Amino acid sequence: MFAVYKKELKSYFLSPIGYIAIGVFLFLFSLIFLLTTFSYSYDMGNLYYFTVSYGLLIITPIISMRMFAEERKNGTEQLLLTSPRSITAVIFGKFLAATTLILIILVFSLIYYAILCFFKAPNLVTTLIAMLGFLLVAMAAISAGMFISSITENQIIAAVLTFVLLFIPELTGMFSALNLMNCYQKFPAGIISLTEVISLLAYMIMFILFTIIIMQRRKSVK
Amino acid sequence: MIEVKNVTKKYANITAVNNISFSVKDGEVVGFLGPNGAGKTTTMNMITGFIEPTAGQIIVNGYDISKKPKKAKKQIGYMPEGVPLYTEFTVKEFITYMAELKLLKGEQKKNDVKKVIEETGLSNVENKLIRNLSRGYKQRVGLAGTLVGNPAVIILDEPTVGLDPKQITEIRNLIKELGKNHTVILSSHILSEVSQICERVIIINNGKIVAVDTPENLEKKTKEKNTLLVTVEDPKNNMKTLKEKIPQIEEIKLLKDNEDNTKQYSITSNEQVDLRKKLFEVLPKEEITIFELKKSEATLEEAFIKLIDLDKSNSQNDDEISENSKDTKKNKKEKKEKQKAEKEEQKEKKAKEKLEKKQAKENEKKEKHEVNKEKNSKKEQNKKEKGGKK
Repeated sequence: MFAVYKKELKSYFLSPIGYIAIGVFLFLFSLIFLLTTFSYSYDMGNLYYFTVSYGLLIITPIISMRMFAEERKNGTEQLLLTSPRSITAVIFGKFLAATTLILIILVFSLIYYAILCFFKAPNLVTTLIAMLGFLLVAMAAISAGMFISSITENQIIAAVLTFVLLFIPELTGMFSALNLMNCYQKFPAGIISLTEVISLLAYMIMFILFTIIIMQRRKSVK
Repeated sequence: MIEVKNVTKKYANITAVNNISFSVKDGEVVGFLGPNGAGKTTTMNMITGFIEPTAGQIIVNGYDISKKPKKAKKQIGYMPEGVPLYTEFTVKEFITYMAELKLLKGEQKKNDVKKVIEETGLSNVENKLIRNLSRGYKQRVGLAGTLVGNPAVIILDEPTVGLDPKQITEIRNLIKELGKNHTVILSSHILSEVSQICERVIIINNGKIVAVDTPENLEKKTKEKNTLLVTVEDPKNNMKTLKEKIPQIEEIKLLKDNEDNTKQYSITSNEQVDLRKKLFEVLPKEEITIFELKKSEATLEEAFIKLIDLDKSNSQNDDEISENSKDTKKNKKEKKEKQKAEKEEQKEKKAKEKLEKKQAKENEKKEKHEVNKEKNSKKEQNKKEKGGKK
């Protein structure tokens, strides 16, 4: 698992995707900083992480689209699947690498916390809880994207489908059970709600399991 | 040791591999031979555990690939068709990753990567991005990736496709070298390659094994006639009457009329008879000078084509038998195929006609051009003449 993890993380930064993802989030954070800091509150959770979490819906499809689609298209999937590593290890390696990218973004977001400390320190616990929620939402979104990437060999189709899956419930109000933003209502206020945590974990586990099933099935269907 | 037992692979309606069985001993170099779409790659993908067979069992060094995939896959190094690589990596990074995928760690990993890079002659490009390498080097990187970790079994799917002749000989030598202490299976549709490298050949066609034997035996088996190639100087054209002088000759064919007044003939006789001695005795008497005389070797190519043709006719016979016993489905299929063939013929005819028309048009154009040129030149001449008069 660690080998795949290391390679995937490296790949994110050998291609522009890693930099684009970090750049977009830094831009969003900076924008909010610019618009709000001098006018009013120091509530990082609600102001920063809640607003920026919509950016997740746009960026995760780009992070997750290449996970399996690219390997399948280039045929490198054969190298992975004929190695002694198990499919589950490969999937978790890839999943954790994408999660690490989000973690890097969160570490960068601490810059704004540090700057705000000069004026009036925001509540650290609230901020950390908001960050934890942000990470869970991102992981859920990545797992969905990973599943979609495993059923196609076209990266663009994977990205568009993931985008649709993540955005449609938010835009139309339908399929509200699948709406990740519904599970990021209490975190920004510094409250860990069991409902939200379990919903996000369930969403994540479901799609990871789907991915494992798809990859296992492909062996006999292909 | 690889054992393939009654393995079948079916896709929705197509049977890609049909109940094949064979085994490969330790340290053997075996070639998979077959026309495109015969099932070579499918078989290799099944041996390496990339695809699950529909039925049957594959055992690699004692481990069943479906039941103990981890242990079985550890025995195998596989270079898939088309040599997939992570092109954004450098050569060294890629090979290191492949080593890590094969569960190598620490010092052993480092040493193995180093060793493999030297073996495949990649030392001078080890820090280059794979993306920027030439085809031949990419092939070598792929090979290095399969060799790392020193797997007991090496499986190569068309390892020399797309290489230049020099690179091909290099890769071949490398494979020969590998054959000394590894079990190697390679697929190819280049026959000379297989006969050079492999100790044993497995010929597949339409998902079935047609023959398993050494290349030499296959050549012998399918050889029916003895053919000699003679180059002679024959001013009186006596070669034509040679058949009367030597009754064992079945056929004399003129192959080439060389510029230096020599001619090359092929002389066929029955397999048991060797005509060489006799030719040397008879030809001088006929005032024919021999420049060259050699036995034409039956090639693996001929063997291959013959075997596949045999296989085809066999399967057709099977069809006929089943037609008698079963309903008319196959008739319908055949009819369809015939119709298809007819259509294709018609298409070809049309295409030919088009070509001819095009050519005719072009010719016309050329003619017009020439006519115009002539006209122009005449005009110029006239002008000149007029100018001269003035």
